[in-house]
Amino acid sequence: MSVHLEQVAFRYPGSGFDALRDLSLEFAPGLVHLVTGRLGSGCSTLLLVIAGLAPHVTGGSRSGSVVTLGLDPGGSGRRDLAGRIGLLLPTPWTQLSGMAYTVAEEVAFGPANLGWNRDRIREAVDGALRLVELERFADRDPRTLSGGELQRVMFAAIVAMDPAVCLLDEPAMELDLETTEMIYQHLPALARERTVIVATTDLDRAVRVADRVVLLDGGSVIGEGNPADVLGTARAVEAGATTSAARIAYLAGIAPTFPLTVSAAVERFSR
Amino acid sequence: MTLGYRPGDGLLHRTHPFTTASLAGAVSVLVFVLPGVLAPWGLVAGLCVLAAVSGLLPVLGTAAAFSAPFWGFLILIHGVFRDDLGTAVVLAGRISAMLTVFLLLLASVHPGRLVDAMLERGAPFGLAYLFGATLQAVPQLQRRAAAILDAQRCRGLRVRGSLVRRARAVIPLAVPLVLGALAEVDERALALEIRGAGSGARRTPLDPPRDGAVGRLVRWFLLAAVTGAVLWRLLS
Amino acid sequence: MARLSSRLLALIPLAVGINLALGKFASATSLPLFLDTVGTVLVAALVGPAAAVVTGLVSQTAFTIVDGKLMWMAFLPVQLGIALYAGLAARYRMFASPLRAVASGLGLGVIAATLSWPISLLLFGGVTASGVTLVTTALTAVGVPLRWAVYGASLSSDLLDKAVTFLLVYVVLEALPRRMAVRFPAADRSRGRA
Repeated sequence: MSVHLEQVAFRYPGSGFDALRDLSLEFAPGLVHLVTGRLGSGCSTLLLVIAGLAPHVTGGSRSGSVVTLGLDPGGSGRRDLAGRIGLLLPTPWTQLSGMAYTVAEEVAFGPANLGWNRDRIREAVDGALRLVELERFADRDPRTLSGGELQRVMFAAIVAMDPAVCLLDEPAMELDLETTEMIYQHLPALARERTVIVATTDLDRAVRVADRVVLLDGGSVIGEGNPADVLGTARAVEAGATTSAARIAYLAGIAPTFPLTVSAAVERFSR
Repeated sequence: MTLGYRPGDGLLHRTHPFTTASLAGAVSVLVFVLPGVLAPWGLVAGLCVLAAVSGLLPVLGTAAAFSAPFWGFLILIHGVFRDDLGTAVVLAGRISAMLTVFLLLLASVHPGRLVDAMLERGAPFGLAYLFGATLQAVPQLQRRAAAILDAQRCRGLRVRGSLVRRARAVIPLAVPLVLGALAEVDERALALEIRGAGSGARRTPLDPPRDGAVGRLVRWFLLAAVTGAVLWRLLS
Repeated sequence: MARLSSRLLALIPLAVGINLALGKFASATSLPLFLDTVGTVLVAALVGPAAAVVTGLVSQTAFTIVDGKLMWMAFLPVQLGIALYAGLAARYRMFASPLRAVASGLGLGVIAATLSWPISLLLFGGVTASGVTLVTTALTAVGVPLRWAVYGASLSSDLLDKAVTFLLVYVVLEALPRRMAVRFPAADRSRGRA
């Protein structure tokens, strides 16, 4: 298990309630994990806690135990874990390093901060840009890119650091269809040697690549397992966290488990 | 009229940023230390030659344009009202020399390369990052300020009228700009942290400029010249 | 040098950007203000004097570069003084009411003018930024000795500018939503709520 949370509670500073409550979860490498739930259910917070950014950067208080890659990411393990946990945030613009003049420099920001030698950096940057099909953009000024192109650059920037745990928080929130498809389609390959955890409410697309789903509500886990078992239930529909196909099937009065994708629904209805 | 980096391949462009910066520092001290009304102008002349040799003549135009208001005030205040043209000439020379050398520095040194040079010499990450990120953040916020000004004007904000009304108009302009910037701090901090800004490792400079023996020699010479001039001035 | 946290690395460039961008609003409203230390004072009120000092130093450097005039670096001590004063003012809860803010802003105006006066006079013969120098010129024209002309000009612009700056920071702190304010260590105290 690369990520292990035991009875974790977390509260943001100045907040009157816990964003995460008594949460115990595990995440294994080799899978694409999907964390979902309605807005405010704690999905983003969960990613921040796994990365150790909550409470270290966000402030607030955390109780319980969080072990990522064998270390405590929010405390003593921070230095050793540098660069080994990647996080892609929803808005491309605020992730800009602020000191890169070209796309290549932007992607190289993380690896350079980790003190890698220049050859290793160059290799990582080239590989990452190739992955997101932006090699020809290497010398462009990042500020001239569109939102979708920039988010691809940010994705490349995370991949370039070669993190063992890859976290993606609503990665396609501001993106066009083509970029969204591209990012999701890379996830299974990425997951082969890593732990990939995606937090999103855009389930129609995410469900096609997810191997495991964790359903949150009010900061607690209310469902966990393979996508069909978790999202194809009435409870998921009522929690506002499932795919359009499943919602339609529920409304149509079909018995659970509901089909999650359009093709599965077609198959089910035609029987 | 241009301000800032001009891509090129001349003498100054090939010089290490620290050498050019040392020149700027040396000139800034020498204009105050060297005696004589025309000493600063001698330095200005030398800088003009340097600009010509480095293919940066347009920068001189900018320097002259920037200097002009200063000359005007100096001549008025010192030359006319205080009947002390000598002081006006010296001060004008000082300002022109400092302006010229600095504009040459800005034109020939790319900020990214300067940051890399600083890191190569062991500058702490925070210092290098603040320098680089600030230079990018400033134009970004200036653009946002312009956008907010346009937007509020569209909504009927009046920027003319009594002093009080104009002063109050600053609030719906400034407050959104500041609050908008503060709202970004959290996400920016998260992104920086996850990309190793807090890692404690020594950041690798991506493309540091090469430093040759000539550059180092020039820097030592400048240091010697400045020290010598200061000592000579103090002792005499 | 203690490692700057990611939050400060994110905040300071924005604060410097605020310092350099607000001047646009002052000129758009034709007000005799600079508003070029709002970001520094804000950082003092939100984080503390040390971070404000860094903001002020970076700000003066950025201003020098953006304006292209190396001479402005000579005014670094003024930025230092402004940052420290603002940090103290925040610690003494001077942003708890508009009156306290304006009063302490006026105090800063005196200090800023007194700090910049010798630099302006001795190094540049009183000739610096156009607006202030116009006042200096007018005063010398009527026969005021140079040193008092420079001081008078600095004082008149700094009193107004720093009072408005402190008032602006008060307004921003009042407008700051609670969940954002708590992320900044000194915010509550500056507003007199702690």
